[in-house]
Amino acid sequence: MHANQPAFFKQGPKPLTRLMVFSALSLVLLISDARLHLLDKLRQQLTVLVYPLQWLATAPIDSAMQASDFLRRQTDLLAENRRLNEERLQASALAIRARALEAENAQLRELNNAAASQPVSRQLVKILYNGRDPFTARLIVDRGGDADIKPGQIVVDHRGVAGQIIRVHPLTSEVRLISDRDHLVPVMVERNQLRTIVYGMGRNQPLEVRYMPASVDIREGDILSTSGVDGIYPAGLPVARVTKVERQNGSAFARIFCVPLAQFEQHSYLLAINGAPAQAPYPETASAPAQASRKKH
Amino acid sequence: MPISSQLLRPVSFGFILFTFVLAFLGNLLPWQAALQGLTPDFVALMIVYWALHQPRRIGVGWAFALGLMMDVADGSYLGQHALAYGVIAYLVLARQRQFAIFPFWQQALITLVLLVLSQALMLATRMLLGDAFPGAGYFAGAPIAAVLWTPLSNLMLMHQRKPVSDEL
Repeated sequence: MHANQPAFFKQGPKPLTRLMVFSALSLVLLISDARLHLLDKLRQQLTVLVYPLQWLATAPIDSAMQASDFLRRQTDLLAENRRLNEERLQASALAIRARALEAENAQLRELNNAAASQPVSRQLVKILYNGRDPFTARLIVDRGGDADIKPGQIVVDHRGVAGQIIRVHPLTSEVRLISDRDHLVPVMVERNQLRTIVYGMGRNQPLEVRYMPASVDIREGDILSTSGVDGIYPAGLPVARVTKVERQNGSAFARIFCVPLAQFEQHSYLLAINGAPAQAPYPETASAPAQASRKKH
Repeated sequence: MPISSQLLRPVSFGFILFTFVLAFLGNLLPWQAALQGLTPDFVALMIVYWALHQPRRIGVGWAFALGLMMDVADGSYLGQHALAYGVIAYLVLARQRQFAIFPFWQQALITLVLLVLSQALMLATRMLLGDAFPGAGYFAGAPIAAVLWTPLSNLMLMHQRKPVSDEL
């Protein structure tokens, strides 16, 4: 009976069977991706399929913007040119100071017999688009494994830290912004060198400094810069400005909100730099001799 | 006008692929920064459309594959879109004969329910995996997609309504 069916009726397994199979497959994929992190290779291969579409979606708008730039009025360009010249002067003044400090630092390191610091590699990356996923604050940028981008590199703009690279595909990579939920940056208040941590609270939300006592010496307008204690963000990069400090009765902690200094929503180029140099391993405490003796390095 | 009462030209597979590519481009356009969730999920919309019109060609398997592509493009967990798209494709297929004879405005209502369901599935997945609720604006794309259903269906059927030459 079954074998005599005309070809028209042969449609393979029923939709419900297929749904079961593919749902099971989806769940397996979800668990192995989210919990076990097994699928990075597969993801990288699939991005190569998606990249032409990503390029096609962004290229026409880019070229239209370039055309409108081309047609922009002369006065605008003159004003911008003047402003950029001023900024360049200020930047070069800072750079001269930085160079002097660098030379001094190198000399001190030599005196101290310390290892030379790694050369900083800088790569200009272009934002392709905001990550579409509304649950996270991510950016997709146009450089990937082909341009030697590595996971863990830091992404900055001309004002401050924007985030870190967490996933590298052959042609693109993903940046996790500092405003992503529960993203932590160890920072230092520039005014009084107080060390603390800035938490992200989600896309387009302010950053928050948590678990500081109500009497803490942080004021509105304070600049927070990276302290470098995590081994991910190199020290001294500006991160955020404090906008609001709330001290509530009955709460042991002050609520401190800040805004990121980097304006990653407003322009399309960012700089990827190397993360902090590798740090010495965390010292094993003397109070846990049993563990220390078990681990042999 | 219900689709079943018209005589339509067959659809080439190239056309189906072309519309999916366009839907992907619609989803990947860099307008998310400005509109935050107000953009409809075009890929889900096309899956509903083609599962309704070409149930023998576009089914759960295609929805799964397109969902995987969307997961990669979005940087979300692999399987999140694939699961949601597979479920809505199945729901369309299960009642396809019924839905296909409905007028467009009723189909638009069904599409609204299906798209909200797909987003609710994704939301449930993400919340089970420990993410926070992104706000009610997350669902704003589905009503917009439902409003788009009638013009979109007319536009797509225009391609199939072209008069056949009299050589036959």
